[in-house]
Amino acid sequence: MFESSEHITCREVVETVTEYFEGALRNDEAELFEQHLNFCEGCDWYVDQMRTTAESVGQVREEDIPPEARERLLSAFRDWRRSE
Amino acid sequence: MRAYKFLRPDGRGVFSAFSWPPPGDGPGEWVEAPLEPCRSGIHACRVTDLPLWAGRSLYEIELDGEVVEQRMKVVATRGRLVRRIEAWDDDLRAEYTRMCADRAHELALGQSPPLEDWDAVVEPSVREGPALLGFVAARIAEEIDGIDGYRRERTRQTDWLVERLDLR
Repeated sequence: MFESSEHITCREVVETVTEYFEGALRNDEAELFEQHLNFCEGCDWYVDQMRTTAESVGQVREEDIPPEARERLLSAFRDWRRSE
Repeated sequence: MRAYKFLRPDGRGVFSAFSWPPPGDGPGEWVEAPLEPCRSGIHACRVTDLPLWAGRSLYEIELDGEVVEQRMKVVATRGRLVRRIEAWDDDLRAEYTRMCADRAHELALGQSPPLEDWDAVVEPSVREGPALLGFVAARIAEEIDGIDGYRRERTRQTDWLVERLDLR
């Protein structure tokens, strides 16, 4: 999947972060991914933010959303559908 | 099997954030985990892997049970920290980082024409520490000699660490 067998680029980290979270990378690919995170502060921060976001979204249940916020979201989606 | 493990300054795993039982007068407690490379298991470095995973604190670790050697690491079902390698302190990390930076300059500026774009990234990278500078030096070597150059530079970094950390 990656261009080099020895290292990956920041772009490749961004492109494969979902597969990394899902455990879908092969062992040798996950190894290169983590090796990159070990030296690249920017990608390490990015992956942390993505993980936090994914965990937050995964924990929100419909009943957790306040009624006003729920109505605003539904309204926004209805407008978005109409504008398609 | 004896191997090495980099941890965060507070003794937690770099990727797992697991709090490792520290060694005291003797080894720390055994830690066990199912073996599934990159996902589960006790992950550690051979000496040749040290430049790839350079971090803040370094320990010698004893591995036991099922042990699988992978291209850039070794993974086992059991491990315990044997001792902290005190020589890998702030001063030596800085010295290693500077060695890699100087080598990166030497490689970049030793070409005709000089690899000025590569040379320009060296000094701004120094503040990010040893793992990045090791990578930068190896990448410049790769620009010059291809993937064999990259691997030779990593070997050179390993040799420096083995000697200065007295890991023979």
